Amino acid sequence: MTRTKGDNLQGSLALLVLKSLEQGPMHGWGIALHIQRISNEVLRVEEGSLYPALHRMEQEGWIAAAWGLSENNRRARFYRLTDQGRKQLAVERENWQKIIGAVGLVLGFGQA
Amino acid sequence: MAWFSRLRGLFRTKELAREQDEELQFHLSMREQWNVEQGIAREEARRDARVRLGNASVWRERMSEVDLMILPRTVLQDLRYGARMLGRSAGFTTVAVLALAIGIGINTAAFTAYKAMFTRALDARDPGRMVNLALILHSGDTNSWLSYPDYEAYRDHMRSLSGVIAQYPEQLTLSGAGEVVSQRSAANGSLMARWGLLPTGTAASNVEFASTFAVLKNYFEVLGIAAFRGRTFEGMSKPELAASPAVMISENYWQRRFGADPALLGKSIRLNGVAFTVIGITPRDFVGTSVVTPDFWLPLSLEPLVHPDEHLLEDRENQCCRVFGRLAAGVSMSQAQAEMNLLADRLRALHDSHSELAKPVNAQIWAGSPFPRKLNAGFRLAILLIMVAVGMVLVISCANVASLQLARVASRQDELDMRLSLGASRLRLIRQLLTESALLGLLAGAFALLFSWGLLAAAVAKFAGDLPAEYGTLVFHVNPDLEVFAYVFGISLLAGVLFGLAPALESSRSALSSALKANAGTAPARGRRLRDLLVAAQVAVSLVLLIAGSLLIRSSIHALKMDTGYESNHVVDLDFHLPEGREYTAERKAAIARELRTRIVALPGVAAITSARAPDGPGLRWAAISINGEKPTDHNSQAYLYYTCVQTNYFETMGIPLLFGRGFEAQQGQHEASVIVSEAAAKQLWPGQNPIGRTVRLGTDGQFHPQGEFRPDGPSYEVIGVTRDTRGEMLDNSDAAQVYVPMPEDRLGDHPILIRTQGDPAQTMGAIGAAIASVDPNVVATTSTLEQMLRLTTPFITAAFAAAIATTIGLVGLLLASMGIYGTVSYMVVLRTREVGIRMALGAKRRDVLLLMLRESTRPVLAGLLAGMILAVGASYLLRKVLYGLSTVDGVSFGGVVLLFLSIALLASYLPSRRAMRVDPMVALRYE
Repeated sequence: MTRTKGDNLQGSLALLVLKSLEQGPMHGWGIALHIQRISNEVLRVEEGSLYPALHRMEQEGWIAAAWGLSENNRRARFYRLTDQGRKQLAVERENWQKIIGAVGLVLGFGQA
Repeated sequence: MAWFSRLRGLFRTKELAREQDEELQFHLSMREQWNVEQGIAREEARRDARVRLGNASVWRERMSEVDLMILPRTVLQDLRYGARMLGRSAGFTTVAVLALAIGIGINTAAFTAYKAMFTRALDARDPGRMVNLALILHSGDTNSWLSYPDYEAYRDHMRSLSGVIAQYPEQLTLSGAGEVVSQRSAANGSLMARWGLLPTGTAASNVEFASTFAVLKNYFEVLGIAAFRGRTFEGMSKPELAASPAVMISENYWQRRFGADPALLGKSIRLNGVAFTVIGITPRDFVGTSVVTPDFWLPLSLEPLVHPDEHLLEDRENQCCRVFGRLAAGVSMSQAQAEMNLLADRLRALHDSHSELAKPVNAQIWAGSPFPRKLNAGFRLAILLIMVAVGMVLVISCANVASLQLARVASRQDELDMRLSLGASRLRLIRQLLTESALLGLLAGAFALLFSWGLLAAAVAKFAGDLPAEYGTLVFHVNPDLEVFAYVFGISLLAGVLFGLAPALESSRSALSSALKANAGTAPARGRRLRDLLVAAQVAVSLVLLIAGSLLIRSSIHALKMDTGYESNHVVDLDFHLPEGREYTAERKAAIARELRTRIVALPGVAAITSARAPDGPGLRWAAISINGEKPTDHNSQAYLYYTCVQTNYFETMGIPLLFGRGFEAQQGQHEASVIVSEAAAKQLWPGQNPIGRTVRLGTDGQFHPQGEFRPDGPSYEVIGVTRDTRGEMLDNSDAAQVYVPMPEDRLGDHPILIRTQGDPAQTMGAIGAAIASVDPNVVATTSTLEQMLRLTTPFITAAFAAAIATTIGLVGLLLASMGIYGTVSYMVVLRTREVGIRMALGAKRRDVLLLMLRESTRPVLAGLLAGMILAVGASYLLRKVLYGLSTVDGVSFGGVVLLFLSIALLASYLPSRRAMRVDPMVALRYE
């Protein structure tokens, strides 16, 4: 269980959220749970920090929010991906691949 | 539209907060439930959920930052707080707002007036299509006046203009309109008369004048203006008009002179003795192509009726009229200009070969304006002077408020320290101080707006009321103007922010360091230096204004007292106009003039009379002078000099001494071919040589002369004498060089009569009216002493006007500067209470404390005075053109003003300093 803090993860948080929402609309708790599960519990966001990030992405226009009913019939705020968000996802994904590739190159140096 | 939803968020903060809370609560309960489902005890599950979420209030605040536009909310906070702070120090706020309001108000007033006056369009429907027509002469001068025949050519041939109109202003006598109302004497005591803007003098006979604009029949139609009542000249044919002369009256004059009598329409009045029927009234304040609404409008084609002896309509050289046109649909100004150029070129051949208009000229067409393209130089100088002076007042008031602000911020240091240590950022503190400054600026702006409108309305009412009806009614609208409103607000905000910036930066910096509290209770040195600088700047700038004002006042007094070279107090100028028309033949006129002279010589108190233009009167003439016996041309002329036709007794009557040579000796009826020259003229023509016995020839071709006036061209004149120079009406004194030409006997009637009186000239002037009326009641005459006429000359007007303005503005500057000194010293005393307490506890006497305070506060004043004096030397160098007979560094002006300033500054710092003496050491030490 690594708890990473810092800019890098802030940037990747957006990627994770956008990727999660590709499945369909979700509320904040659902996103947190999804990331936790899919990443085999390695990536665990600080749960509260998810919400300012969600609101910021909403202001950017990447996601849209609406109040709806949750699976246990409670009022919850659901987020869904917008068209702009889909484009942003592609950009973020590409960035991430670049970073991974670059890090890979640095780590691979001298081992061959 | 993120900013929009964030802005909207401001109006639903409560709802947003509830939603954020609900979102977080939902998360908590879901996590708790999930934990329970994983088999964790409920208590532990709840605790774990909270730990994993983190500090909920921090997240809520972060979300608010995202969802809301934070800035406006804090700005509102700043504003509320700022208003409270300003309200708490009401004294400071009043002084600062007042100082700034005066500065901004005066500037707004000056610029509004300038805009309203000089950027005004013609008074017409769709004024954007109206244009002015003028010619640029070969010499480079612009000629905005065209002769009537030229006007007709442009009117008849220009296709690019749908209508061409002309306007010829003149004053006519009014009679047949009930009792005579003499307006001129009423104006004698007015401000405008004192500044030389109105002729003073007295109408000798009981005559009433009225201002008229002679215009073309189509004038109102081209401008697109209908009559307020009755009709315009439109549709009346020339013969019809000649058979029954018609005139229109302005609504303003109708109110003023006839009490809005509805029966006036259709009645007849007499202008220059000719009966005219009033056919219509023009709308109130309608000024047409001018800035003044005249009393009457009459058809230009009737001009020969009121002036039978003049041939205005045929004379191509008499440039009588301003000409305006309306662009035809789809035509641009440059197209019209090109067409006018062609026409002007063809008209050249028709002009007198010596006329400037016979040389190549360039047509000029520009957007319709009642003003000529180029204002005259004196006028431009006066405007520049006013603008610079009001700008300086704004500088003073801004420096004033800045120094007050600085002092006040220094006294608020504790509060600022407190806020800094409670975690306010420096930026936040600066923003708070700037908000207060801006608030101050806005408040001042609002006051300034009211102040400037009041000022303008009062000034316009004063000037309009002072202008006698015979000059028409000045129409000058100073209505609130959106642009000027924006201007005021811009300036006030900018000023607010600018003068707030320095103190804000200053205090937030020192607030950091003064945590040490090493020098608490005394002003921080850096703050003091800036404050001193601001005080010095105010003092310097207002000193410059005051010195300039005092120089100008002294120069205008000097201008009047200076030796003119002739007797001005006891010589009366009698200007008379003989009636025109067929009944008055040349012989009859000569007889009337002779008879007038006989009657006047016989009046009690009259020592001598002579016929000539007064040295300071209108009607200067000039000629090319050759000294080689040839007819003067452009090539062989030695100089261009002014000349005056005089009678043989001119020099004795005027008291002008003959330096050498002899006077005129010709007997009655004889004509003498000799001239007398002034010293300056002799120096120009024959430098370093004896002029007596030499000959000159004069040439007046191409120089302005009214038709029929005597011209001294032709014979060779022998120089027989040299007189002392006299001072005339030219600013550069160029008319001191004069050639005196003997006047032919039969020309006496063309010139004013100069009357040398023994006793009080007023008595003689009073008796002249009856004497003239007994000769012929139709003679129109005015009298004034040469002294009075001197006040109407350009140098005097320029000096008097500039003096009045510079002094008024200088006094405002002085007032502001003393307010600034008073305020600054007051705060300094408060700041140093503790220090004074310690000094007194250690045995300092009250006197020592007072001296300390005075020394500290006069230092910047002295520095400012020194800088101001240096600047004033520069300013007076620039003013040297209008300074009459004063050296540019005038000791009285400089010394007097500096002393005045110093004593006022001492008083302004003494009053608050006294408070420091009364400090009780015990109280002061407990002050912390």
